[in-house]
Amino acid sequence: MPLLGSFCLLFALALAGYSFIAGIFGVARKDSAGFRLAETARRAGIVTFIAVTGAALALVWAALNNDFSLAYILEHTNRALPTPYKLAALWSGQEGSLLFWSWLLAGYGLVLRLRHKIDPRLFATTSTVLAGIQVFFLVLVTFVANPFGIMGSLPPDGNGLNPLLQYPEMVIHPPMLYLGYVGFSLPFSFALAALIMRYPGEKWIHITRRWTMVTWLFLTCGIALGAHWAYSVLGWGGYWGWDPVENASLLPWLSGTAFLHSVMMQEKRGMMKVWNVWLVFITFMLTILGTMLTRGGAVQSVHAFAQSAIGTWFYWFLGIIFVVCLTAYIKNRDHLKSENKLESLVSRESSFLFNNLVLLAACFAVLCGTLFPILSEAVRGYRITVGAPFFNKVMVPIGLFLIFLTGIGPLLAWRNTSLGSIKRNFMVPAALAFGLGVLLIFVGLKPWTDLPYFYAWLGFLLSGLVVTTIASEFIRGGLVLKTKLNTNLAAAMVHLTRRNMRRYGGYIVHVGVVLVIIGLCGAAFNQEKEQEMALGDKLQIGHYTLVGQEYTQDDNANYSSEAAILDVYKDGKPLVRLTPEKREFKASNQGTTMVANHSTLAEDLYVIYEGKNPDTGHPIIKAFVNPLVIWIWIGVLVVAFGTGIALVPNAAAVKAPVASAIAVVAMDNAMQPAGAGK
Amino acid sequence: MSPSIQVIVEIGCSLFAAIALIYIFLPGRDADTGVTKTRLSYLYERKEVVYDNLRDLNFEFKSGKFTQADYEGMRSNMESEAARLLAEIEQLEAAKA
Repeated sequence: MPLLGSFCLLFALALAGYSFIAGIFGVARKDSAGFRLAETARRAGIVTFIAVTGAALALVWAALNNDFSLAYILEHTNRALPTPYKLAALWSGQEGSLLFWSWLLAGYGLVLRLRHKIDPRLFATTSTVLAGIQVFFLVLVTFVANPFGIMGSLPPDGNGLNPLLQYPEMVIHPPMLYLGYVGFSLPFSFALAALIMRYPGEKWIHITRRWTMVTWLFLTCGIALGAHWAYSVLGWGGYWGWDPVENASLLPWLSGTAFLHSVMMQEKRGMMKVWNVWLVFITFMLTILGTMLTRGGAVQSVHAFAQSAIGTWFYWFLGIIFVVCLTAYIKNRDHLKSENKLESLVSRESSFLFNNLVLLAACFAVLCGTLFPILSEAVRGYRITVGAPFFNKVMVPIGLFLIFLTGIGPLLAWRNTSLGSIKRNFMVPAALAFGLGVLLIFVGLKPWTDLPYFYAWLGFLLSGLVVTTIASEFIRGGLVLKTKLNTNLAAAMVHLTRRNMRRYGGYIVHVGVVLVIIGLCGAAFNQEKEQEMALGDKLQIGHYTLVGQEYTQDDNANYSSEAAILDVYKDGKPLVRLTPEKREFKASNQGTTMVANHSTLAEDLYVIYEGKNPDTGHPIIKAFVNPLVIWIWIGVLVVAFGTGIALVPNAAAVKAPVASAIAVVAMDNAMQPAGAGK
Repeated sequence: MSPSIQVIVEIGCSLFAAIALIYIFLPGRDADTGVTKTRLSYLYERKEVVYDNLRDLNFEFKSGKFTQADYEGMRSNMESEAARLLAEIEQLEAAKA
């Protein structure tokens, strides 16, 4: 297998190199010989995928067959490791994960190259840019971080997988995150290609829109799975610790989200072309930065690998990308001239602009906080870490302002909105949101007592505003169609959504985001308690009483474990039996926590077994009551559902006849739902 | 790895490389060269977008989002934009003919 893997990698590198160079010459020549050359480049790109797949399969095969002659397999697996985790070995170490990056990139490239007939010239240039990125990653896995390095002797067993990664979600989380990271290579390649070839119009944006949405969805799911893993495995009672590697995944998500919004301004009004191109460039550079932080060991994190020379390669790659983007921009900036100007500060355009500025401000704040330890080390010689308090202080107000914009944006008109229209659209949502705020105070939330309470109260209030504005959009549109189609309101709203999946799918995504915000607001009311618990001892937290019933031990080939069996009572009534556990993995001599969590729509009872007190021999139990956490996970599911809706083409698309007179179009289509022609 | 398996792997790799090279360098003669996008095709795209914007506006007005004055102002702007596009399309088509 090492022989096959190494051959596949070298061959893939040669093919990607050819695809890149032949692609450059092919697209530079405008004659038929140039197109033939570009066609060979395209085909070389397709075969690159097969070659990289061969290398990835060789590594997986080696993992499944305990081939400890490979240093990578020795380091990241062992004989007793369950099969799914052996598969996960492909992305659990630095070398394997870079191979995985290359494979996903080749996979995205394959889809792109198979769909080249949509616009052969644009796709040929895009494919060339993609091949350039592919070359970089294949150089890394072939010469710098080769997963097929061979051991001098053949050890009887491997060192095992990091225990923190031996959790079902860890089999899905990294691929999701990587699909998101790698996927942003495509919008980047399209944007750079369109800029280099001075592609007229916004068609490249239409083509990349779905790629970007799919990529964004993968990244969203990846981040959410990571948060859920942290909540379930790390055992500190939270889901987001502003860890540098967590932040690294958030950065491209923030800029990608900004792009998904601002791109609408370019499509609709031909505005913000420079902004959009640079947003895509920055998003891609942030994915490379994220990969560097995760795989290069530049920052210290629960996820990051040890310091290695690979970081220098990424710095150079980032530098080259920046120079290429800047050169392409300077050379072609006149091509990005805006067709319209911002007419009013109270308009849909300005709400998108503010949304973008806020998202980028958030991105900048997270970037500064994440890179501060590196910068401080470079300047002062020692690392100063920026912790959660900094991020919370900066990001919470930014997030709340973003939710406010999410609430008002859909109600504003393109170009300009008068005071009359504002009154007409905002009276009901604002009154309902205000009513919700008063109701929350009435039921006992006192926002004036503490800043986190105030933020939570504001978060709930603004969430109410967003939900009511979205509901009003569905209801207003539904009422128009209800009359026209002579049907009920629910059917009319379904019809409305089917006629403009992107817009109404987007609204569903916003509802999902609101649910996530509601879940995050719950953190203001968290409670925690730690206590030694002998048999029969009680721990009281919130409405819950935990009673120690039994303490057990277990042993299998992979790990030994200790667990506490606790009976839980709520307000004196028996509720559930929880079994928090602590595992000690044999191959790696590392321990991990298995959290016991009783989750309801109102709150989570989250219990950890922390081991025994060496002095008394009594088990230590730590319990948390975390309100509303489940809404975060529900919200992410809603976001995924909404994105799925937005990806589906519109039903019964109606195109206006080309020869129609403007006035006729305006009048005849008066009853068409918004976006029916898309 | 036993010598016989190594030979099989080597033969397999060589075969794969040979097939790949044939696939890459002997492409079909129907390689699609595509067409260079013109100003005219861009204007057609833009016209569709303006029509869609008009439909959006009409629908939102019907749903009661805008006052009559706002609607008429925005519609007038969009119709002017569409008229400019149509005029340029007509001009370019005439020149082409």
